[in-house]
Amino acid sequence: MLSFLAPLFLAGIAAVAVPVFVHLIQRERSETVAFPSLMFLRRIPYKSSRRQKIRHWFLLVLRCLAMILLAAAFARPFLDRPAEAIAGPLGSRELVILLDRSYSMGHGERWARAVDAARDAVASMTGDDRASLVLFDASAVAVVEPTADRARLLAALDAARPGPGVTRYASALQLAQRLLDASDRPRQEVLLVSDFQRSGWDGQPGARLGEGVTLIPVDVSEPVRANVTVTGVAFTREHVGGRERVTVTGRLALRGTEPVRGLPVTLEVDGRALQTQTVDLDPNSATTVSFDPFTLPDAAVRGAVRVAEDALPWDDIFHFVVSPGQAVPVLVLTGPGAPAERTLYLRNALSIGDQPPFRVEVKPVERFAPGDVAGRAVVVLNDAPFPGGEAGRRLRSWVENGGGLVVVLGDRAGTAAWADEAVAGFIGGRVGSPVDRPPGRSAALAFLEYGHPVFELFSAPRSGDFSTARFHRYRQFEPAEGSTVLARFEDGAVALAEARPGKGRVLVWSSTLDTYWNDLAVQPVFLPFVHQLARYAAGYVESRAWVTVGQVLDLADAAGPAAAAVAGGTDLIAVAPSGERTTVEAAAPLLELGEPGFYELRTAGRTATPVDVVAVNVDPAESDLAAIDPQELVAAATTPGGPDRAARAATMDGAPGPVDLERSQSLWWYLLLAAFLIFAVETVLANRLSRAPR
Amino acid sequence: MQRSAFSRPTAGARFIDPRVLARIDNLELIARTVVEGFINGLHRSPFLGLSLDFAEHRPYMPGDDLRRIDWRLLGRTDRYYVKQFEADTNTNFTVLLDVSRSMAYGAGGVVSAADGGGGGGGRGPGRDGGANAQAGLSKLDYARYLAACLLYFANRQRDRVGLVTFDDDIVEHVPPSARHLEVVLHALDRAEPGVQGSLARPLLRIAEFFQRRCLLVLISDLYEEPEAVRDAVSKLRYKGNDVIVFHVFDPTELDFPFTDPVNFQDLETGERIPVVPAQLRERYRELVRAHVGALSRLLTENRIDYALFNTATPLDHALFAYLSARQRLTRVR
Repeated sequence: MLSFLAPLFLAGIAAVAVPVFVHLIQRERSETVAFPSLMFLRRIPYKSSRRQKIRHWFLLVLRCLAMILLAAAFARPFLDRPAEAIAGPLGSRELVILLDRSYSMGHGERWARAVDAARDAVASMTGDDRASLVLFDASAVAVVEPTADRARLLAALDAARPGPGVTRYASALQLAQRLLDASDRPRQEVLLVSDFQRSGWDGQPGARLGEGVTLIPVDVSEPVRANVTVTGVAFTREHVGGRERVTVTGRLALRGTEPVRGLPVTLEVDGRALQTQTVDLDPNSATTVSFDPFTLPDAAVRGAVRVAEDALPWDDIFHFVVSPGQAVPVLVLTGPGAPAERTLYLRNALSIGDQPPFRVEVKPVERFAPGDVAGRAVVVLNDAPFPGGEAGRRLRSWVENGGGLVVVLGDRAGTAAWADEAVAGFIGGRVGSPVDRPPGRSAALAFLEYGHPVFELFSAPRSGDFSTARFHRYRQFEPAEGSTVLARFEDGAVALAEARPGKGRVLVWSSTLDTYWNDLAVQPVFLPFVHQLARYAAGYVESRAWVTVGQVLDLADAAGPAAAAVAGGTDLIAVAPSGERTTVEAAAPLLELGEPGFYELRTAGRTATPVDVVAVNVDPAESDLAAIDPQELVAAATTPGGPDRAARAATMDGAPGPVDLERSQSLWWYLLLAAFLIFAVETVLANRLSRAPR
Repeated sequence: MQRSAFSRPTAGARFIDPRVLARIDNLELIARTVVEGFINGLHRSPFLGLSLDFAEHRPYMPGDDLRRIDWRLLGRTDRYYVKQFEADTNTNFTVLLDVSRSMAYGAGGVVSAADGGGGGGGRGPGRDGGANAQAGLSKLDYARYLAACLLYFANRQRDRVGLVTFDDDIVEHVPPSARHLEVVLHALDRAEPGVQGSLARPLLRIAEFFQRRCLLVLISDLYEEPEAVRDAVSKLRYKGNDVIVFHVFDPTELDFPFTDPVNFQDLETGERIPVVPAQLRERYRELVRAHVGALSRLLTENRIDYALFNTATPLDHALFAYLSARQRLTRVR
């Protein structure tokens, strides 16, 4: 049976009216004969029907026939013959089925349609055709290597399920190209079954298929009426009666065309619903929901903000872990006989912080005991000499084992205590005498190492100006080899230097942190600067309340008990939300987080309670279901000069497709040739017939 | 021999075809009416004078020339009678040339003035002129050839020659003069198709020009109702002028040989009408024949000479036939 690949072009048959029009109207009206006067002609009654006589029927038939042939040629006709008839000339096929399994595919009937499309592709395999099945989200996995075994492919399709990952087309296309590179089949096709989320394609130049490879997109997306997503949570901590209370605020977003009214939003803590609120959301809008504060226990709690399930359930819950506030204990040692105001600015600055909070204790250096460093994260020698004797040795030992020391050099710090070689080596330089700037020519900080964590916060424009601080006096400091200068005055003198004795950190500030030698304490940058000094010296690492699916958790660079256990050389067992257990070796404490929910980290070989819990959520970017035009992706991912991919895109419903049939038969070429021959004959005839005198 | 008269190149001389003049050399274009001339010529003068044609006798009056007393009549009647003879004189010969837009028409379409002629005597509506006419000679060109030959002819018989070109008004006026042949030929050369033409207004003004009776030749395609043409031309007759109307037609205007349905556009008004010639041809020819017949009848009734000139007919043939017939008619009178 005759079929057409582009039947819309058959509308061009209406063009047969053109020759008729020419015969009846245009041919008569197109020529004008100038005549001296129409005086006589006007007296003769005119009847238009006279002109409707067709004189050369044969010419008319030829022209109409040529028009019909042209229209039929453009409609790309083909004979719907059995597949076997064309298998020979086209050759065998290497098909790579890329099946999107990101969590957006779980929306509505997308996954079912996607699997059906993949099944159809498998069913279209004929003869020596081979196919492979690649499931992809952020990463791509060939679950079935190239094979002609359809049953295997269908079984893999049955087993496939959408996961919590996000869509990334690049990795899938690269894997498809690798599979095709290893194939010797003459026809190479990639079937991309996806909902074509725009967020999954960033036009990566590396994700391009080779020449001759046909990319066939199968779009299974559907209109999104309303999809509510819990995009995140925020915490507000407060201390009431010595207990820490946390207020959780959930952020919600609605993508779609329909509003949502009376949506219940529930806060769950340790699996128990604490509170439910209702919200109204307009299309493509966002809102926040604040729940009543609850008291934190001593251990971390698991929490979740959940909304009623919609067509895409993956993004309807957001998990988090709230740990008790982790205040950084700071011991400030003041110089001998120093008045209280010498520590006023430093103490007040540290007491303000809440990310993290600092727990500050001030003590005269002469009363410093070896045991005072226990439980401290940072010790500040605020214009105080380095402690001598056992206390000094204990301090050095503590720092070398991971403690943090901030040395502030003022007039009371003196030079004698720092002259000791051991102390000088410990702090990374020699302390000299004070340098007075001439009156009216105070110094300013001229060099800051913005790449260092202490100053990284100030690296952005207008994020802190140290140049306004005037320094009237500072103490000379000669950094030793191995220590790092982080800041200098404009005359080149060292303002801040760092030494790394053992596992600890020593920061030396060559002027005071009050208003005696400089006015930095009254500058806006003082507070964040002091916080950064203390955070860095303490080696503070903020614990994350949640991470995203697909991330790899490096416990060596994390905070919390699990990180501490790994640091102590203990292997851990990670229990995924699905119950799957993974060993986290202390030597390489990496954990890939592939499921949303709570991962429990337990000590290997024991069944004790988890030492740590990690909350994992799906990437909210995937819940944006805005789609890209599949042809746009096809154009970007395929090499120009390949076959007519756009036309083939509409043919994935059987085997072999109409495109294949049409291409193998190429009837349009004969029709076009016939049309041109008819036009040539018509031209000759028309010329001869038109020679008759007028 | 005629060329020798134009030893000096004259722009309009190309319209004077030697073959035409040779053909009509032995003919005369004589005014049928008496005309008032100053010198002896071919035309009858309103005054009695010296000639061989006896007119009448009248009683002798003191002061009459004694040599003109008819002595034989005196012998028979014993009364003094003076013998009077008709005077022959020359006349004013003026061509009234219609240069309206419709005159630009030729069988090959609209022909511009510049296309109308070739070199002097090289191209014209003589024996080969018929072929030329069919090849695209416009009615205006044909009329210019006709006018030039007549003017030269008249000038040679000592008539004063003048020219008026007109469309819906007078375009150019060359007063009659024995020395105006070159001026007239120049004017003919400059004549170009103008705008939509009409006869009544320009001919009325022309009639006011001429205070002396003269011979007027109107050359036009006369695309007006016959009665209107008669009324317009008759005004020229009021003062006793002898008026000849040469009606110039292109053969396609007469035969309407078109076959394919096309739009016909009026050269003067720009109006278009779709026409199926095969359906209209016979009716058209009937209308043209009726128009020509009406013109001929109405003008003849008003003692106005009418002649139809087909531009496909060689001018020498056409002019010879006309002058011969006129001469015969003059003798009969």
